[in-house]
Amino acid sequence: MKDRLALRAVLEKLLLQKGDRNTFSDGESLLTSGRLDSVDTLELVVLLEQDYGIDFSNGFDRDDLDSVDSILNLIQAQPAAPKVSMHAMEQRAT
Amino acid sequence: MKIIPQIDTYPRLVTACETPWGKVALLAAFAATLLLNRVGIWLELTLVAGVLSFLPEHRQILLSLAALYWVFMHKDWTRWDFIHRMAAGAQAPDWVMNLWVVTLLAGIFCGVWLFFLHVQKRGGSFLARRPVQVLLSGYVALLLAAGTLPLHGAAKALLWVILALLAPYLWFFAYALQDAGSKTADATAVQFGSFHPFYMAPFASFTPIGKGRAYLRKTEARTSKQLSVVQLKAIKLLLWVTVLHIFYTLFILVVLGENTRSSKMLRLLFDHAGLPVPNFSVPTLELAIEQTAAGAHLPVHLAWASLIAHFIEALLAISITGNLVVACCRMAGFHILRNTYRPLQSQTIADFWNRYYYYFKELLVEFFFFPTYVRYFKKYRRLRLAVATFAAATLGNALYHFCKDFFYVADMGFWRALAGFRVYLFYATVLGAAIVVSQLRGHKVQANKPLYRRVIASSGVIAFFCLLEVFDYEGRTHLLRSHFEFFRSLFPWL
Repeated sequence: MKDRLALRAVLEKLLLQKGDRNTFSDGESLLTSGRLDSVDTLELVVLLEQDYGIDFSNGFDRDDLDSVDSILNLIQAQPAAPKVSMHAMEQRAT
Repeated sequence: MKIIPQIDTYPRLVTACETPWGKVALLAAFAATLLLNRVGIWLELTLVAGVLSFLPEHRQILLSLAALYWVFMHKDWTRWDFIHRMAAGAQAPDWVMNLWVVTLLAGIFCGVWLFFLHVQKRGGSFLARRPVQVLLSGYVALLLAAGTLPLHGAAKALLWVILALLAPYLWFFAYALQDAGSKTADATAVQFGSFHPFYMAPFASFTPIGKGRAYLRKTEARTSKQLSVVQLKAIKLLLWVTVLHIFYTLFILVVLGENTRSSKMLRLLFDHAGLPVPNFSVPTLELAIEQTAAGAHLPVHLAWASLIAHFIEALLAISITGNLVVACCRMAGFHILRNTYRPLQSQTIADFWNRYYYYFKELLVEFFFFPTYVRYFKKYRRLRLAVATFAAATLGNALYHFCKDFFYVADMGFWRALAGFRVYLFYATVLGAAIVVSQLRGHKVQANKPLYRRVIASSGVIAFFCLLEVFDYEGRTHLLRSHFEFFRSLFPWL
């Protein structure tokens, strides 16, 4: 639950920086719909690498970063990820 | 104020377009707007869109059949003049050449199918882990061999015909092979429908507008209402394209003084109304550069006019052709993003590049930017961003254009064609460096900035891309010095 809230805060911040104040659901596509672009994807990649230890170097599927649900699935699929993240993610979102 | 009404948001219209008669009306509007935009194949496009509208449950197989029809019935997806020239070199009669082409094309598709299956099995081999790199390296190796080895007769013709058939499909195959590694990949028969799909027929580009099946799957209309909305969006976009087309025709007629079929019609209309048509006869940028190189310097105002006219023409042309394809794709039931979207509102260089030719930028991001970004310099955030951006905007961009223009290698040999590529290489290097700086400075577009600051930022971005057009030359005959001389002639006071 905490992951979800923190992640939503990060995504809301990215959208706000683009002047997008519309709401979004957890399953809603943000990349495919064009609300977030490839540069925003980088922010997510860096965040997931640093805060969850996810290694994208063996394959990178943008679908995994398309919505809150898909990002959470990606985080949960990681074996023993170093979960240092909550505060860091929330700080990033402020 | 919106020029085009937001027809896709009218609930009663959306409901009406779900009915058979509503669909017929939509198709009639589609055909009419294609005709207005002088799309020669309007009837075939409308027929395919019609079948897809009434049988959306069979969309995937219908798209594959349409793609197959287009491969054999239309010849603008590759350089047939080049294939004929190569076949003439091998002294092969026409029927032998046609047999060759069909056999080779079938062979290429079979090869990609096997490759696709190998990647789908998720083997640990390099081939399965890096399919796109293998595909691109293979193509460049073939091009190098064809351009350097002393081949003659049938062997030479065979190699060049393979390259001419493979080049237009290269990036479509890349998207399919990338999708093969995903969990939800479509079967190869379905992937085939996204290889030079019917909706790309109005614009024979090597860049897959609408990307590959992975993107199409996510943007596909699932319900009758979604289909109705996306088709209304297609009509709305076509109406906008029509407005741009009229402006483009007027621009060509008045500023460049060129006589296209559309501009002749417009001239007749003006004459009929008794209105005089001004003609500024601004020289094309290529002509202006060639004249400068020959020592005949243009007056500075004419040099600027030529550059600005070229920039506006390029902007209008890409907006019209790219969005025409997007509209046809939307008619097929895919809610894909526009190819060009308000580029003049961009406040950063990176933002302009994103808005100007979205699907080309996406191609470079998918196959060059992200693979570099996730693998190299992971501990150095700024360096990582810079290297990945350079890999896409400079190296990927240059590689795309070098592979696309394979016929220069056939005419000049590999190394001379590469040396002649220097003007575009310079262009790609400056573009890459500028995007790196733009990204490092912070890409965020601040919507809350005061209007005057947004206007200043947009003007700077437009000025940069307009000036960079001087070097956006894909031919092989100009010297870089000629382009620099023209560039210098724009600033005689310096």
